[in-house]
Amino acid sequence: MRIRVGIVLLLMLLSATISTANPGGKGDDIRSRDCAGSCHASSSSNGVSSANLSIELPDEIYAGLLMEIITSVRGVDVSSNNLVGMALLINSDGAKDLPANDGWEVITDPNGGVNNYVEISDSFSSQTSVNRSWTLRAPSSPGSYELYLAVQHGSQEGGIAMSGISDSVEVQVLTVPENLPQLSPEWKPINSRLIGEETTITLETMNTESATVELKNGAEISIISVTDGKFTIPAAVNPGTVEWRVILEGEGPTQTSPWFRLTAQLPGWSVDETSLYVQGFALFLLGASLVMIQRPKEEIIDKKYDNTNQVIAVEASIPELTFTQTSEIVTEATPIPPEGLPEGWTMEQWNYYGHEHLKSLEGGAV
Amino acid sequence: MISSPTLHVISTELTIGMFALSGVAFLLCLLQKGPLSREAVAHWALLGGLLATPFAILTGIDSAPGDGIDNPLLANKVLLSMTSAGLAIGVLVRRKWGGEADIRHACTGMISVGLMLTTAGMGGEYSRNETLLFFVPKETVLIFPIWASILLIILGIVIIAKSAIQHRVS
Repeated sequence: MRIRVGIVLLLMLLSATISTANPGGKGDDIRSRDCAGSCHASSSSNGVSSANLSIELPDEIYAGLLMEIITSVRGVDVSSNNLVGMALLINSDGAKDLPANDGWEVITDPNGGVNNYVEISDSFSSQTSVNRSWTLRAPSSPGSYELYLAVQHGSQEGGIAMSGISDSVEVQVLTVPENLPQLSPEWKPINSRLIGEETTITLETMNTESATVELKNGAEISIISVTDGKFTIPAAVNPGTVEWRVILEGEGPTQTSPWFRLTAQLPGWSVDETSLYVQGFALFLLGASLVMIQRPKEEIIDKKYDNTNQVIAVEASIPELTFTQTSEIVTEATPIPPEGLPEGWTMEQWNYYGHEHLKSLEGGAV
Repeated sequence: MISSPTLHVISTELTIGMFALSGVAFLLCLLQKGPLSREAVAHWALLGGLLATPFAILTGIDSAPGDGIDNPLLANKVLLSMTSAGLAIGVLVRRKWGGEADIRHACTGMISVGLMLTTAGMGGEYSRNETLLFFVPKETVLIFPIWASILLIILGIVIIAKSAIQHRVS
């Protein structure tokens, strides 16, 4: 029997596949490439992704200003859930590789957040190219920088995590020309809103005399007027994303901002936390009290710890003896021999052991 | 140093391990099988699990993304873990008062363990979106009005006080 159980267990162990990836992903976040332990078990156990990775930059990038880049993932077959994790990095070392280390700021990631690592579910295959747009704020210091696109995904066969990184893409960040119409360095776009709510956005600009907003909803582009630096995007009736950008005019060359994405979401789930915690405490007390009210039956306690009745019963069964009766019994049982007590014996010893002494005399031994 | 999620995993495994051990021992008590030490194991493991529970809760709150309770799974985790902790404390106090590990006592202990394991299972679903408890309606949260919760608190306090007084008198 033991051998059979052992064989079954051995077969179960041998039939297990070794998987090092998190098939469902780990969620968008700010992540270094070498996220061993959080994304994959160990980067050394990863396979090399065959994906063709690229980053498309705008013609001119000014220090401290917003810009849009397009990342592409081409020619790769992934696992059945079509999920690919994409990370925007500044080196391929696996350490100190976050864009923020060089002064980049992710304003809007492809999923509408502000992370350098996003998980994209799309039709990835060896014949397709999946593009995603990122809105970044360039470093505040002009100079030469590098950007990388890293990916991690599963494989069609399963069982191994694939990892890849693009070649270095050099980015020249230019000094901002004087009088260049621009959005204020402190200004940030709104990335999300609730369904059914109009969104009024206030622009903060510099060196700008007039601004025009273009709103793209699907393939249609409409113009929205800007009054006192404010404009309103109509309410969304369904979950989805609209894109908008602003064209800034002034003494310097006209500037067009990157497309900003505004995602309409269903209202999130919420609960009155006070009610929840009070109810939790109530359930705690009620649970404890309902068990404690089932007090152990007294007869059970008596049975386990109280031996009074047993002691009384034993005492009652013992006959009451007086000193006289005892003496008589002892005297009758062991008469003192005519020659008197043996040498060295006391009367008390004779009462207890005298009969043994007599028996030994009868047996001939002393 | 280790991150909050890792610390949460450690404390959770500690908690769930002890609760699971307690559950098995309570099952043996229910079946009246196994070694005589089953009663001691059941209650000491339950106590250990209870002591580790606050660490699991605190590290869980620290490692959860977002602010506050914005998911029905988290709300149900709060309610289930508090109910489980209440039942566990009740079981331990009843034992301290001399109660035997009879069928009702063992069943209560197993219910407490089951609720805590369900709570842990929901945590796995929250973080990894995978669970074996797909048949449990975890997306539904039953929230009482606050007056009803206060009424339950008062009721619980009265029952506990009554039980304690009766225990002292006897």
